Amino acid sequence: MGRLIDMHARRVVITGMGCITPLGHSVATLFRAACEGKSGVGPIRQFDARAFPTSFAAEVKEFDLSQHIPNAERFNECGVNTRFGLAAARQALTDAGLLDNAKVNHDRFGIYLGSGEGTHDFSNLISSIAIANRPEKRALDTSAFYASSMARFHLARERELEMHTPPAHLAREFDLRGPNYNCLTACAASSQAIGEATEMIRFGDADLMLSGGSHSMIHPMGVTGFNLLTALSTRNDAPVKASRPFDLNRNGFVLGEGSGMVVLEELQHAKKRGATIYAEVSGYGTTGDAFRVTDSHEDGRGAIASIKMALNDSGLRPTDIGYINAHGTSTQVNDRVETLAMKHVFGDHAYKVPISATKSLMGHLIAAAGVSGVLMSIMTLRNGVAHPTINYETPDPECDLDYVPNTAREIKADHAVTNAFGFGGQNISLVLSKLHE
Amino acid sequence: MASRRAVITGIGVLSPLGLDAATTWSAINSGQSGIRPLTSFDVSQYSVRIGGELPGFDPRKSLAGKEERKAIKMMARPIIIGVAGANAAMADAGIKKGQLDPERFGVEFGSSLIPTDLDDLIAASVIAYHGTPGEVDFAKWGKEGIPTIQPLWMLKYLPNMVACHTSIFHDARGPNNSITQTDVAGLLAIGEAYRILQRDKADFFLTGAGDAKLNVLSLGRQCLFADLSHRSDSPEKACRPFDKDRDGTVISEGAGIFALEELEHAKRRGAKIYGELVGFGSAFDRDFTGDGIVRAIIAAMKQANVTVADIDHVNAHGQSTVKGDAWEARAIAKVFAKTTPVFAGKSYIGSLSAAAAPVEMTMSLFALRDGKLPPTLNYETPDPECPINVLREPHTVTKPHVLKLSMTELGQVGAAVIRRWDG
Repeated sequence: MGRLIDMHARRVVITGMGCITPLGHSVATLFRAACEGKSGVGPIRQFDARAFPTSFAAEVKEFDLSQHIPNAERFNECGVNTRFGLAAARQALTDAGLLDNAKVNHDRFGIYLGSGEGTHDFSNLISSIAIANRPEKRALDTSAFYASSMARFHLARERELEMHTPPAHLAREFDLRGPNYNCLTACAASSQAIGEATEMIRFGDADLMLSGGSHSMIHPMGVTGFNLLTALSTRNDAPVKASRPFDLNRNGFVLGEGSGMVVLEELQHAKKRGATIYAEVSGYGTTGDAFRVTDSHEDGRGAIASIKMALNDSGLRPTDIGYINAHGTSTQVNDRVETLAMKHVFGDHAYKVPISATKSLMGHLIAAAGVSGVLMSIMTLRNGVAHPTINYETPDPECDLDYVPNTAREIKADHAVTNAFGFGGQNISLVLSKLHE
Repeated sequence: MASRRAVITGIGVLSPLGLDAATTWSAINSGQSGIRPLTSFDVSQYSVRIGGELPGFDPRKSLAGKEERKAIKMMARPIIIGVAGANAAMADAGIKKGQLDPERFGVEFGSSLIPTDLDDLIAASVIAYHGTPGEVDFAKWGKEGIPTIQPLWMLKYLPNMVACHTSIFHDARGPNNSITQTDVAGLLAIGEAYRILQRDKADFFLTGAGDAKLNVLSLGRQCLFADLSHRSDSPEKACRPFDKDRDGTVISEGAGIFALEELEHAKRRGAKIYGELVGFGSAFDRDFTGDGIVRAIIAAMKQANVTVADIDHVNAHGQSTVKGDAWEARAIAKVFAKTTPVFAGKSYIGSLSAAAAPVEMTMSLFALRDGKLPPTLNYETPDPECPINVLREPHTVTKPHVLKLSMTELGQVGAAVIRRWDG
């Protein structure tokens, strides 16, 4: 039985939103920029990437944690994952009326993030390897490596690399004492976090969950790794044109960074305290491709299964869906396979649903990509406007759906689907709905 | 929905005391410690020189299939060990290829940060280093360094790759998650798999974790910030949970993977059943008062519908750190009678981090089966800060339930109740 018709099920709604992104430091700013078709992509400024195969990305600009959090210097040694996350979380909690709210039970208020690792100390790591290299032995002198790296590694920053630190910092800062999780399933992570957090509330493990993600891989290790996989666009002469989901001439994704957070709340709990309800998480689908480490399944097997599972979970028919926020990475394979999957699940209706790809605007936020799609879907449902997929210039015969090319469009939609697919084959789909009593 | 039950029908263990569950359990019963001087690389200058390395582990023996062997070069050691554990659990569960409905077969693993193999970066580092420690020539790295690194380098270290490779090798197309909560990750993954079975979105899971931090980079990082024992001259005595003279934990490597299966599904295929998972809870202990641990325990016991009197023993996290053990013991003492036996498996094998809780859970499962639980090793001097009944003598099992605890140094807590399978 679907969620929307089961009278006895605990239903989960979203009552707060926040974000730090390359296109704005609040959900309203981000959505406005998105509808104007702005691009957040430009040359990388955080380190000298001019000689890297890819020298551009969508960076978060003018971020100052002290504008978001009192005594922000407490978090100076944290990675940007924690720092972006703190700011986005505080917005979401404030938005939900839950910041320092003693009227709700904080023991029943948990956290489930899909956050990435902290920032590696690239220069110290790489120079220590070089110093310890003993070519005559064709091996590293581990004592020399230890001496060099330990002399220069920063204790707290090294600790902050671990992925359990962001949810711990957020839980301590905002006094959230319920379940405390982080998952890192590559590009699916924050959608999976929102899905599982929703299930925790449905089951009764919590009444409130702060969920979402935070990540930056715009660092030398991240760009190196993705360049080696040939996953990134190398359009260094035209960065703003590089992220072009579903366009024939797409040639890889663009790295973005940032954080998005939502407050998930059990429906009756939200109603009792008179909370503003933005949307309902009405369906969640989670599957594995079990195919290849590097590519998604050619026929979209896992993607189809996750969209179907999410629809079944919601109890909706494919024709009820009025908007899709695609994973749309701008890689050849993803966009083709995702299109295939949408056609398979939605049939003729696939051609009628407006589909937008947020990554065309601000690149791929990796672990935080999924929650970005959730935020945009909610704003679309509420404002009746779908943001455009920019850089859509040359149609690809294999990608022949309505991607809302280049210009925002007024639409009417009660239910939206958003997808997030991870390297390694995790497929997550979420259905978001206007609240129907 | 609440009527769907989850049973453990397969166990895969690799530990410092053996490359399978039976060898490990038999070594524990003979009072052996898996903590030894580290030998896999030169640790003479490290501030900690002991740990629990897998004895004689050969990846090519554990990952013997053609596709698996090809994939080894794409896997860092924690991933290899985790996949080996998953293979062992599948074999133990008696699952043949094609026997499970792929879409109802999920993988839920715990993980912590997986470091790069330094060897992969030597050529690039030498190119980019210009002679000043702590500095790198980015132009050289970008232009000449990057091309020297193997193309799939990054995939060797993504924390979701244990679950990814496992899903490919066993055609598991159900829910697939990797929870990165370090020391509590394995238990949280098991708890999540349990919830998914309960809500009827899968029938069969491989769940648990593999982890390994005994490499040049991770061990150094742990020496920098982790609370480690410095008894490098007496390895077997180093990990001593709840003992007054404990001085930190000991790092080990290994895997603990369960086949966790919906009861009717297991019965239909005539599976052997080790035990049932009957309760799970988790919480955040913000101020280390023990209140978070207590809430996780109570949530797990409430779901299991048991009281303190039904619990045979507590299988503790027992990290062997001064602060951590006192924190945990205070919480246990708040819930349980002073006489409730407490067992700490890390005393034998050290801390397997993400894989710790699953491996330690097997000890209680085997104790429930055998009717006998060995004492906690190295528990010699009781600590007034830890007012609990840590087992010093072999214990005869008298009740069918065990409570398993797991936590991180930052306050994330998981608790599970398992029940003996009496048919």
